Amino acid sequence: MKVLWQIGVIFGICFISEGIAMLIPIPFPSSVIGMILLFLLLLSKRIESRQLIDSSNFLMRNMSFMFIPAGVGIVQVYDKIKGHLFQLIVICIVSTILTFAATAYTVKGAIWLRERIRSRKEGVC
Amino acid sequence: MLKEWFSSPLFGIVLCIAAFAVGVYIQKLLKTPLANPLAIAIALVIAVLNVFNISFEDFNQGGQIITMLLAPATAVLALSVYNQLDVLKKNFLPTVAGCLVGSVTAIVSIVLMCRAFGLDDTLTASLLPKSVTNPIAVVISEQHGGLTSITVAAVIITGVFGTIFAPLLTRLFRIGNSVATGVAIGTSSHVGGTTAAIQMGEVEGAMSSIAIGVAGLITTLIALFL
Repeated sequence: MKVLWQIGVIFGICFISEGIAMLIPIPFPSSVIGMILLFLLLLSKRIESRQLIDSSNFLMRNMSFMFIPAGVGIVQVYDKIKGHLFQLIVICIVSTILTFAATAYTVKGAIWLRERIRSRKEGVC
Repeated sequence: MLKEWFSSPLFGIVLCIAAFAVGVYIQKLLKTPLANPLAIAIALVIAVLNVFNISFEDFNQGGQIITMLLAPATAVLALSVYNQLDVLKKNFLPTVAGCLVGSVTAIVSIVLMCRAFGLDDTLTASLLPKSVTNPIAVVISEQHGGLTSITVAAVIITGVFGTIFAPLLTRLFRIGNSVATGVAIGTSSHVGGTTAAIQMGEVEGAMSSIAIGVAGLITTLIALFL
């Protein structure tokens, strides 16, 4: 019964999110609205994270499983990528390396800046 | 009769679970991230459908039920961010700044390379969100006229690359900061890279899981303006 209740809560949040997604005029994915909604519910302590632990662990641990059907769909569009396979792989790898470097240096820069502002404030006081 | 039997939703579901079990087993056997269970499962299912001459539509009777579970799986990403709230509060601005710059870098570099290689709009839209976690990437791709199965493939390639090369990239770029390493791994290679980040250290793992949610949200917001 406990797990059923948890699934009910999570599915309920997703269902409400789909409604919100239809109401708002911008094309915002309902799954992301669900993520924000659940986060707000957790922040406002309406839901405690341990109340959802069983079903959320199940969903998160098996996330990659849920992509099998979408991945199998590649047979239907194979003609479209046949000639571009090499380019696709190059784009994936190069952009991942660039994103990694850009993110890491930005975080490092922001931390450095924060420390500097902090030490300056202390210097003034 | 056989066709009727295979078009039962249970067929697709059982086939996916069996194929995934084989994928997980092969990875345990070979102990390499190159043997990605999802990639193996997809290949197996395609092989079975081909050998027994079963149509994708019949398979997808069950397939679409599995796909439906993606929305709840995305929603519970909120839990992994919430569970790391203390770490996030301590590093809020650097994390958000990093995810923002990273997401922009990913989108800009993908669009530029797609143009350089002369790929059409459909392929560009399919690749665009490939650095974010799969459930969010699929929706962004769809909204921009991409093909979700290409997006899934690109997300897998990115994840596998991240799992294997995250530690090497960290040394290569001389990051030397656990928070920066974690955010960079999560933003550039989502869940795939995060499995490597968790092995690198507690802070790296926590920051990487936070970055999956934050970068997913930021990429969604950026995609609204494209």
